[in-house]
Amino acid sequence: MWRSLRPAALLAVTAWMVLGLRLALASAQNTPIPQTPGWELVMRCVICHSVEVAVQQRFGPRGWSDTLDRMIKYGAPIPPEDKETLLVYLLRHYRDPAGR
Amino acid sequence: MTTTRRGFLIAGGAAIALLRATGARAQQPAALVPGKDRLIVRSPRPINLETRLGDLTAYHTPDDVFFVRNNYDAAPIAPAQWSMKIEGEVDNPRVLRLDDLQKLSMFTQDVTLECAGNGRSFHKPRASGIQWENGAVGNAAWKGVRLADVLRLARPRPTGRHVAFDGLDRPPTPQAPDFIRSVPIWKALEPHTMIALEMNGKPLPHLHGGPARAIVPGFVGSASVKWLERIIVLADEFDGFYMKSNYTAPRADNDKEIYSLQSLEVKSVIVGPTEGAKLPAGRTTVWGWAWSGEGELTGIDVSTDGGQSWSPGTFTGRWDRYSWRKWEAEWDARPGAHTVMARASDSLGRIQPTSRTFNRLGYRWNVIHAVKVDVA
Repeated sequence: MWRSLRPAALLAVTAWMVLGLRLALASAQNTPIPQTPGWELVMRCVICHSVEVAVQQRFGPRGWSDTLDRMIKYGAPIPPEDKETLLVYLLRHYRDPAGR
Repeated sequence: MTTTRRGFLIAGGAAIALLRATGARAQQPAALVPGKDRLIVRSPRPINLETRLGDLTAYHTPDDVFFVRNNYDAAPIAPAQWSMKIEGEVDNPRVLRLDDLQKLSMFTQDVTLECAGNGRSFHKPRASGIQWENGAVGNAAWKGVRLADVLRLARPRPTGRHVAFDGLDRPPTPQAPDFIRSVPIWKALEPHTMIALEMNGKPLPHLHGGPARAIVPGFVGSASVKWLERIIVLADEFDGFYMKSNYTAPRADNDKEIYSLQSLEVKSVIVGPTEGAKLPAGRTTVWGWAWSGEGELTGIDVSTDGGQSWSPGTFTGRWDRYSWRKWEAEWDARPGAHTVMARASDSLGRIQPTSRTFNRLGYRWNVIHAVKVDVA
């Protein structure tokens, strides 16, 4: 359906995403998401799930990289050139030094 | 970049820009789900809500504080529109509606449901998944029909050795795996395994799987698939992500192999006193709940000195084959700081451990629960 995305559909999808983002942010019980470089990429995760699902995780480099690969396989709109930026962001804020 | 991806990115970018322009920021939500405002929101989408331990005061956990665990959300469906297929290794595939189920013999039983990941947040290092503390557990009266009676209508073949449940919940993208779980045929035909239509005397609420859900007593909560739309009789365990990857743990005797989780662990929680409580010196009652999956509880021990010495507590009140049991112990509390602990054991020779080997997905957490209190 995305191949024939028209302005009206784009508007509807944008509105849907705003709702999702608002819900995700409004209900955040944990630390607000730090707005350092790469944070917008985290916002792409909320197309499928609320931001809490992501930011309550703590992994090391391999754990986050594997998680991103799995999410990309499942359709997360993160192009290959953005994966590294997102990985750096996640490791900066959501790293478990003892994690894999 | 594909057009598909570009569309997503344009919409995502526009959404973020709009969000910034409208000044959105973290704020206290109105109740995410009407009537569930006492629960801790672990995730708004999919909806995952945890019960506060202090709200687990009643044998039957009321709907308004009963935990909610969704891998994916599902749209509500009117009972009159609901139907369920039975297919696979059967001679008589069927489509059943609610009134077909209501013609079968109904029964009610108390069953404790616990999420396989309950307690995940206590693993070190942090395990992957929703970071539950102790409150992804609850006990309800479920009314419904025996799964065995439903399966009989479809005449399973002898080759049918497993039964898979598929619900109306859908992954957000076509590439993500559907949430489907299977149980071995011995468990599917066990007389306690049911399709529930009511919870605590009322039609099954949507958030708890209404109009109809599986209840697989004693198994990890994920076996009790909600919003049933399809039952598949299979020759082998279902070959999907939620059987072969998620809800798996390393085998105790060979950690290079994993198995799909079945029975819950033997476990107990302390409800009173609560963590950090300040108590007057003198006699008080330590109490909580204990459960054991496929086992039957055989004992509960309580320590008030951080596990140096243990005394037997007693089980009290009503219970059912697969429900939790209330336990209590009298304590003559002396002034000072104390660590109160509870340790359940069961008929399978299991006893709650003092530690649990880390597993990546954070399952099987049944380490002895401890609360710190001050007695003045």
